[in-house]
Amino acid sequence: MSIGYSMMLTALALVLIGVYIMVAKRNLIRILIGLEIIATGVNINFIGLSLLKAPGLLDPLPHAIVITAILLDGALIGIGLAITLVIFRKYGTLDVDFLRRLRW
Amino acid sequence: MLPYAPWLVWAVPLVAAFLHPVLERISHRLRDFIAVFASFLSAVFAASMIPDVLRGYVVVDGVRIEIPADFRVADWIVMPGRSISVGVLVDPLSVFMANVVGWIGFLIMVYSVEFMHGDESITRYWMLMDFFIGSMQLLVMADNLLVMFFGWEGVGFASYALIGYYYKDEEKYWIGPYPPSHCGMKAFVVTRAGDIGLLASIVIIYLTAGTVNFLDLAHDVSWAADLARSGLLTATLLLMFLGPIGKSAQFPLHVWLPEAMAGPTTVSALIHAATMVKAGVYLVARITPILFVVYSRLGELVEPSLHTFFLTVAWIGAFTAFLAASMGMVADQIKKVLAYSTISQLGYMMAAIGGAGLSMHEPHFFVENYMAGIMHLYSHAVFKALLFLAAGSVGHAIGSYMLKDAGGLKKYLPRTYFVMLVGLLALSGVPPFNGFFSKDSILHAMLASGHTWLMALLAVTAVMTVFYSFRLLGLIFFGELKVHHGHGHEHLHDPGPYMMYPLYILAAGSICGVVLMPSLHRLFEPTFHAIGIHHGHGQAGVTLAEMVVSAFASPMIGLTAAIIVAGLYPAYKMYISYEVDYEALVERSPVLRAFWRFLYNRWYINAAYYKVFVDGFLALSEGIFRYIECNGAGPFLQRLYAAFCDAVRRVQTGYLRVNVIYIVAGLLMLVLLTMLA
Repeated sequence: MSIGYSMMLTALALVLIGVYIMVAKRNLIRILIGLEIIATGVNINFIGLSLLKAPGLLDPLPHAIVITAILLDGALIGIGLAITLVIFRKYGTLDVDFLRRLRW
Repeated sequence: MLPYAPWLVWAVPLVAAFLHPVLERISHRLRDFIAVFASFLSAVFAASMIPDVLRGYVVVDGVRIEIPADFRVADWIVMPGRSISVGVLVDPLSVFMANVVGWIGFLIMVYSVEFMHGDESITRYWMLMDFFIGSMQLLVMADNLLVMFFGWEGVGFASYALIGYYYKDEEKYWIGPYPPSHCGMKAFVVTRAGDIGLLASIVIIYLTAGTVNFLDLAHDVSWAADLARSGLLTATLLLMFLGPIGKSAQFPLHVWLPEAMAGPTTVSALIHAATMVKAGVYLVARITPILFVVYSRLGELVEPSLHTFFLTVAWIGAFTAFLAASMGMVADQIKKVLAYSTISQLGYMMAAIGGAGLSMHEPHFFVENYMAGIMHLYSHAVFKALLFLAAGSVGHAIGSYMLKDAGGLKKYLPRTYFVMLVGLLALSGVPPFNGFFSKDSILHAMLASGHTWLMALLAVTAVMTVFYSFRLLGLIFFGELKVHHGHGHEHLHDPGPYMMYPLYILAAGSICGVVLMPSLHRLFEPTFHAIGIHHGHGQAGVTLAEMVVSAFASPMIGLTAAIIVAGLYPAYKMYISYEVDYEALVERSPVLRAFWRFLYNRWYINAAYYKVFVDGFLALSEGIFRYIECNGAGPFLQRLYAAFCDAVRRVQTGYLRVNVIYIVAGLLMLVLLTMLA
C-alpha cells in the first residue's frame, strides 16, 4: 500500500471523526472543531490523490491549492468564532439545540 | 490604419462610458474632457481606416490583407461541429459608417459641453452618450450578425435611457401628451417588436448556413438555396427587415420616433443623424450586396423571393417618406417637424437601396441606386445634425420647442438663422447643397432603372419636404416676436462658441458636401469588386466636375426646380411673408380642416396602436387579474402551495445535527450513483 492510499485512509478517518463530532456534540465550539477536522481530512485526501497520479513525481499544483485552502480555513474559522461570540452574547448559551428561532 | 483601429474605434467610447462615474469623483472638468475626447479618438480611429480602404488592402504585422478584411480573434461560442467567432470587418460600408458616427458624434459631444452645462445628472448623460456611440461603432464594425446584434441592442438601450433622460417628468420637458419616461419606454417597446423578427431571422440563417459571418454568407450561398427550396427565404428576409423597420422608424413601426424628441436636443441629434436610426439602413445596405451574390449565383431559384423582399423594402421606404412628410407639414413643435423629416429621409434611403435590389439584373443600375442611398445617408447625417443642433440653439434661447412660442427670431439669432437656413436648404434639396446631389441622384437612379412609380411618390414627397422646411423656417424666424413669461429679451441671443463652432462646421459640410461624393464612389469600389461588378459598371471613376455637370445638365434639374417652386411658393406666402392667413384658410374650408386634423393626428395610426396594444394589453391583464388571479386558478394555487409547504415543513427540524446527517446522506447517495454508473 502506497503512501497515497494510507493518506487517503487517514483522511477518511478524519472526516468520519469530524462528522461524528458535528452530529453528536451540542456545543458550538466543539462543532467548529469538528468542521476543522473535516477540512483537514479533505486537504490530506487531496494531497494523497495527487501522489497517486504520478508515482515519483511531485506535482506542485495540489500543494498550492491546499495551502490556499488552509488559508481560507483560517478565515472561515475566524468568522465562525466571531458568530459564536455574538451568539453567546445574545443568548447566553452555545447549545445549538436552543438556537431554533427560525423554525416555526 | 492606426494599430488595432477596428477594435479601438468602438472599445474606446465603451470603456470611457464606464469610467465616467469614477472620473466624476476626481474632477468634473476631466470627466467632460474625457467624454468628448473618447468620441474624438473614436472618430480618429475611424478616419485612419479610410486610406486602407481606398488603397484596397490593409497591412497588419507585415501581412497584406485585401479589403474586405475580416479580423477574427477566436471562437466565441463553441458548439459540437460548429462555432461562432467574434471579429471586426474592415470594408467600405463599415468604415464609411464608422466615420459618419465618429465625426458627427464628436461634433455633437462638443456642442453638448455648453448645451448640457449645469444639468444635475450630467455624468449619466456623458456615460450614456459615450455608450451610445460605442455601441453604434460596434454595430457597424461587427463582422457577423450576432456581434452586430449586441451593438444593435446596445443602441436600443442607450436610446431608451437618453430619450427618457428627464425621467422625473417635470412639466417643462413634456412634448405632446406623454411624459419623457413614457416616450423612452415607447421607443424601447416599439423597436423591440422589430428586433424579435431580426433575432428570429438570425437564428434561421445560423441553423441553415452554420455561420452568421457576412463574408461567409456571401462566400457560400448554399444557405439561400436551401432556404429557397424549403420556401423560407422570403419569410427569413422579411423577418430580418422587421429589425430595420423598427430601428429606422419605417411604417408601420414609425410611431416611436416623434416621441423620441422628449430627450435633450443633442440626444435627438445623435439618434437622428448618426446612431440608432441609421442602423436599420446600415443593415439593409449590409445584406444587399450579399443578396446580390446570392442572385448572381442562384438566379432563377431565388429571384421571386428577392424580388418580393426588395419590392417590400422599396415601397415601405417610399410610403414612409410620403407618410412622414405629410405629418411634418402640420406638426406643432420644432423638433417634431425635424423628427418627421428624419423618418421621411430614411424612407428615401430605404427606397433607394430597395431600388438597387430590384435592379440586380442590371449591375450598372444596382450600383447607381445603391450609391444614391449611401450618399443620401451621408448628406442626411450632416444636415440633420446641423438642423437639430440649430433647433437646440433656438430652444436654448426661447426656452421652448413649441412653434407657437417661436417667431420673429431672425433679428435676435442671426447666426442660428443662417445655419438653420443652410440646413433647411440642404433638406429641401436646393442646389448646390449636399441634399440636392444625393436626393437628385436617388430620383435619377430610380427613373433610369425604370421604377417610375416609386420615383413619382418620392418626387411628391420632395414637394412636401420643401413646404414643411420653409414652414419651419418661417414660423421660427419670421412673423412677430412672441415673448413669453420667464424669458425676456435678454436671453434672446446666439449661443456661445462651443455650440456655434459645431454648427459652422456642419453648415460648411452641408454646403460643400458634394466635394466628398466622388471619393465616396471610389471608397465603395471594393464592395462592388468583391461581388463581381467590375470597373466600367460603376461610377467609381467619376470626378467632381463631371458629377456636378451631370447633375445640372440632366433633365432632372427641371424636376428639381419644379419641386422647389411648388413647395416654396405656398410656404413663402403663408409663413414667411404672411400674405395668406393659413389659420383662416384651414378654418374656412371643412375639407381642409378634416385633412388637417387627419394629418395632425398622424393618420390615426398612433391612436390605433394605443387602442389595440396598450388598451388591449391593459384590458387583458385586468381580465386575468379579475377572473383568474382572484377567483379561479389563483386561490387554488395558493392552497396547493400552502399544503405542499405544510408537508415539507417537517423536514426542517432546526437541529443542526439533522442537517449534517442530511448532507452526509446526500453525499453517500452521490457516491452510490457514481459507482452504479
